[in-house]
Amino acid sequence: MAHGGGGHAAEVYPENQVLAVGAILAIVGMYVAHFVPSLSMLIGGLLAAGACVAGANTVRKVAAYGLGTGVPSIGMISLGMGTMAALAGVLIPKVFGIPEIVTPILAAVIAIVVGFIIGRLTVNPVGMKIPIMVQSMTKLSLAGALAILGFCVAYAGGFSADVFIDNAVKNGIIALAFIGAGMSILHPFNACLGPNESHERTLTLAVACGLITWLVFAIAKLDLISTIVAAILWAIAYGTYVKMSLRDACCVLYTPELPKKEEE
Amino acid sequence: MDAVSLLIPLAEITIAGAIINASVHFVPVGGAPAAMATSTGVGTGTTQLAAGAGFTGLMAAAAMAAQAGVDVFNPAHLALIALSGAVGSMIMLGITMLIGQLIYVFGVGVVPAADKCEKDPITGDEQRPYITPGTTGHAVPTVCFVSGLIGAGLGGIGGALAYIALKQLGFDTAIAGILAVGFFFINAVLASYNIGGTIEGFHDPKFKKMPNGVIASFVASLLCGLVLLGMAGLA
Repeated sequence: MAHGGGGHAAEVYPENQVLAVGAILAIVGMYVAHFVPSLSMLIGGLLAAGACVAGANTVRKVAAYGLGTGVPSIGMISLGMGTMAALAGVLIPKVFGIPEIVTPILAAVIAIVVGFIIGRLTVNPVGMKIPIMVQSMTKLSLAGALAILGFCVAYAGGFSADVFIDNAVKNGIIALAFIGAGMSILHPFNACLGPNESHERTLTLAVACGLITWLVFAIAKLDLISTIVAAILWAIAYGTYVKMSLRDACCVLYTPELPKKEEE
Repeated sequence: MDAVSLLIPLAEITIAGAIINASVHFVPVGGAPAAMATSTGVGTGTTQLAAGAGFTGLMAAAAMAAQAGVDVFNPAHLALIALSGAVGSMIMLGITMLIGQLIYVFGVGVVPAADKCEKDPITGDEQRPYITPGTTGHAVPTVCFVSGLIGAGLGGIGGALAYIALKQLGFDTAIAGILAVGFFFINAVLASYNIGGTIEGFHDPKFKKMPNGVIASFVASLLCGLVLLGMAGLA
């Protein structure tokens, strides 16, 4: 039984480009949030959504092969690896006395290393027969780490260990980041897969999911300006997605009815 | 800290990952076909079921660890925490399977029957005559139910062990909790990729693939353990 796996639709934007843009945006967002705490949710939250889009795009690419266990599984392992890498990025500088300025970069490097090794393990000994498994796990681990760290830094207002642990971990906000960012990484392709899946539509949904995660965080922080901006941007993105779905739905690809037994 | 107090948590984390991976192989997972009663097991994916059972176990373990006078370095208390995790997890999965079974039998109207064995290894009941043609069994037969309980118990012990190791490394409860959740997901998904779709339990031919998954989790958990040691300032 293979869940998912709608085959490959045409790729409009190259995967590496989307990943690079998403990762850079999220990292820039974290630095802005760290140095200008008053803008942390407005800029940091917006740019963290970039990591969600990058992750959703990679999920689309790898899950189209058919994972055998459903699309959500790869989103969840991405967030599992991401949580550890994000917290490692925050705690390791404190432990070893490295300047905390390296936190986002360190988290990204740890995420890439962990993702690569766990990706290799899914090929051998586990035996996943997806040619892009290793690179996809590496990219997903990176996207997961940056999404979690991005939203938590936006909420906490900085990535130094003391600020981050007190304002984003001990109050449980990191759990919200885990599931919120997780949903926006795994949901877009899970919702759009199947015949007539289009890259543009899936990515639009990914943007909408990233923005609604930002909206949730803005509400959680009671940041009025961010809430309004996020709500407007989300409404625009989601409206675009609905329009695209309606547009694409005029050419439904009908599948034939199941053959009746007598007609065999 | 000296080398021994550093090696014990590392060993615990590595073993915990391997146990979590093994536990997932016991849980009867049927996915979408099971939701339509055309295969055995619970009608959802491996990751979700393992996560549900594992997190309940983790909560039960954490609740026990938070009791006054419980010392995470005391072996007797350690066993008690692991047992609490196992029981919590078994109750969660047991109730899930029981309610699912009630819906299968009284709602859908199917007879619980396994496809992967001629006779139920536990009750000795004939299975074949009760399987609707074109399906791969229905509901949660006795052998699947027992296998699921064993899996949930192991999963709870694995989750509890990971949590204890994180506490021994000196992590704050909040950090240990979220790290254990991430750690649990890594191992549960590695196991579900090893299974690839559905599994009935320990009598399923796919169960023989378990060593691959356990080795993968062993290596992955060792890697996670090393990163965690760095985070705790012990490396």
